[in-house]
Amino acid sequence: MIEVSGLTKRYGSFTAVRDLSFTVQPGEVLGLVGPNGAGKTSTLRSLAGIIPANAGRIRIGGVDLAADPVGAKRQLAFFPDEPRLFDYLTVRQHLNFVARIYGVADHAKLAQPLLEELEIADKADQLPGELSRGMKQKLAIACGLLHGPRVMFFDEPLTGLDPLGIRRMKDSILSRARGGAAIVLSSHLLHLLEEVCSHVLILKKGEKIAHGTLAEISAQFAQGETGVSLEEIFIRATGGSEQ
Amino acid sequence: MLGALLYLRLTSLKNIVLSRLRRLKQPKYFLGAAVGVAYFYFAFFRRFSSGSTSLAGLPASLPTGLAPTFDFTATLSVFGALVLLGIVLFTWALPKEKPGLPFTEAEVAFLFPAPISRRRLIHFRLLGAQIRILFSAVIFTLLSRGWSFLGGGALTHVLGWWLILTTLNLHLTGAALTINRHIDNGANPAVRRWLILAGVALLLLVSTLSIANAAPPFPEGNIGPTDFFSWLARCLDSGLLHGLLIPGKLVIAPFLAANSAEFFRTVGPAALILIGHYFWVARQETSFEEASIAYAEKRAARLARLRDGTYRLGQDKARREPFRLNVPGRAEGAFLWKNLLGTLPYFHARVWLGCALLTCVAVPWIVRGEHQKIGSNIIITFTAIFSAYTLLLGPQLARQDLRSDLPHADILKTYPLAGWQIILGEILTPVAILTGLLWLNLLALVLALAPTADKIAWLTPSFRLTASLCIAAVIPVLCALQLLIPNAAALLFPAWFQATRQRSGGIDVIGQRLIFVFGQFLVILLSLFPAVLGAALVIFASQWVIGASAAVVLGTVVALTLLGAEVACGLWWLGERFEKFDLATELRP
Repeated sequence: MIEVSGLTKRYGSFTAVRDLSFTVQPGEVLGLVGPNGAGKTSTLRSLAGIIPANAGRIRIGGVDLAADPVGAKRQLAFFPDEPRLFDYLTVRQHLNFVARIYGVADHAKLAQPLLEELEIADKADQLPGELSRGMKQKLAIACGLLHGPRVMFFDEPLTGLDPLGIRRMKDSILSRARGGAAIVLSSHLLHLLEEVCSHVLILKKGEKIAHGTLAEISAQFAQGETGVSLEEIFIRATGGSEQ
Repeated sequence: MLGALLYLRLTSLKNIVLSRLRRLKQPKYFLGAAVGVAYFYFAFFRRFSSGSTSLAGLPASLPTGLAPTFDFTATLSVFGALVLLGIVLFTWALPKEKPGLPFTEAEVAFLFPAPISRRRLIHFRLLGAQIRILFSAVIFTLLSRGWSFLGGGALTHVLGWWLILTTLNLHLTGAALTINRHIDNGANPAVRRWLILAGVALLLLVSTLSIANAAPPFPEGNIGPTDFFSWLARCLDSGLLHGLLIPGKLVIAPFLAANSAEFFRTVGPAALILIGHYFWVARQETSFEEASIAYAEKRAARLARLRDGTYRLGQDKARREPFRLNVPGRAEGAFLWKNLLGTLPYFHARVWLGCALLTCVAVPWIVRGEHQKIGSNIIITFTAIFSAYTLLLGPQLARQDLRSDLPHADILKTYPLAGWQIILGEILTPVAILTGLLWLNLLALVLALAPTADKIAWLTPSFRLTASLCIAAVIPVLCALQLLIPNAAALLFPAWFQATRQRSGGIDVIGQRLIFVFGQFLVILLSLFPAVLGAALVIFASQWVIGASAAVVLGTVVALTLLGAEVACGLWWLGERFEKFDLATELRP
């Protein structure tokens, strides 16, 4: 579903992501982790076609992102850490706008259950300025899900959410994965990885340190010890510093 | 205590100046500052060095040849007083809730809990306003130096502006405090507002009746716009309105003084009004903190959005949709719909249609009968100036396109659309707005010219109609071409664009904006050249064979083809640029 080979992203002379390769199959949730500046956001933005990669190949649902960006983007949704909404469109108008962009013909039928699932149906005629941070996040998610994407990218999905919002976000990610979506998310919150991710990719200074299921990663860094926490594994994998 | 408050003001001012000077190390600000300084020098200061009066010059009396026309200052005095009266009435009528005094959030945080009396806080506010007022007085003096009919010197003008602005500021402060006190005393804000509005309506009615009874006769003969406005001023300055305009005329009088003797004669009454206002404000002991905190919060939010470039006037409530957005449909239409929702509600098809109907009724009425020439001269002058401004400055002001959506660029880039589609969709709204304005202008111009054109044999009605429709057809393509330039600038020079879209001040930012305007002017001239040349050649060559009307149509087709090709190339190229736009690096200022 998501195939990445040799992805490299440079900003001038600085290499943010170096020769990164991995795949994510339908139903899998890949957690991108790493210290600050490891290249997580650059990787996610390159995968979503927001910034151009300098080298490598990205295929979304079998479609080459560089060769057919429009075809690839029809299948994906990107959720930034901060919800980016248009200040002058109401909740319902946001969904109407996105429906037209993605050509979702029966959007009214899809939008209502989506709004109800995300518990913002009663806010349908409100502007983003009238919504709380969590509500805005939900609206951004509703916009992303409206066209039924098969691939989803979440950048720090739990930022600014209250405990109930965190629980619902985790449930939502898991239910989409169970529905056959391939999901990549970046987060600093290791408990999110333990509860949601089937696979983990650890980045450091733009390079892949480790990639595999949680069990495989634990086995790789536990060095024979038992009961080693994911936090300890992360520290061992990354050397305990950003450098 | 006032010493500490004065320290805060002066230190803040010093730091602003220092930070502006420090940023001149960056080439974009340095170049902007150079252009800004050159502009101010050539536009304003050079006049002082070459003119008959110096900056500090205060002539005792003007030479006979330079004596200002009395009628001009009298007319200006009436209109100025009318503006002041309008501001005063709005100040009392507009507030729906308790109006706050304009404190910043930092001032609220530091000063409100501090052991400072309300009266001192009000003085702090008045003192703070003085820096802005003095600066404004100097700028307004520079601008008003171009008014050749004005007498006096630079010093009388600065002092005159200062008197006007300070009195106005004191009145606004006093009105805010008084309204606060009334509401605290249990007055219903809505009832108070309706009472004032009813009073204003009654005032208007009585004034209109008294003007109708005592209006001077319309001047006879071949009159110009100045005669017309002079007559209008005399009409307004009669009956009840005459009495209401007296305080405003007294406040404006020192600014309009022809010489030092007149200035000293007029400054006394103006100063008395100012002192009266000061005592009215200073004696008030009213709670203003709550409203001021709300004001500070709203102001901070508005400033944050201004800095982001996402501020839209009056966007606190959901708007009625400009048209129904059907799905499926072309994605570009969704951008038009979205961006129209972000503009003022007046840019709506019904409003445009209403304006067109009004123009069709009003312009022929104005240009009818014996005073046809004055009416048509005023309309032609106004439409010519407005059209030129719309074409030149419109693209800089109508920014409901990629420039306002650049903060959302990451989301736009995830849409399954080609780059050119996004650019086309984004520019559709300003194209629609500018086209609508120019079409209305064209309609007014054609109707205003009709009586004159009727007297010219070759300007037949059918030719005029054909030519007007041809011009109307070119306008949207021309607007699209115009709008591609600032959008290209935003993509090609994002760091520069970031600096100009933030509404920060400074001579360097003014210079940067000037560079953009001149750049736009130059590029549009180059872009227009092939279309104008092609159309002119075709019209010249073919009019002998197919007639003038058909030649104009053919020329328009050629112009549209060339301009359309330029727009298409521009869209395609900008689309490519947008697809490759690396916002992670580009949007770093």
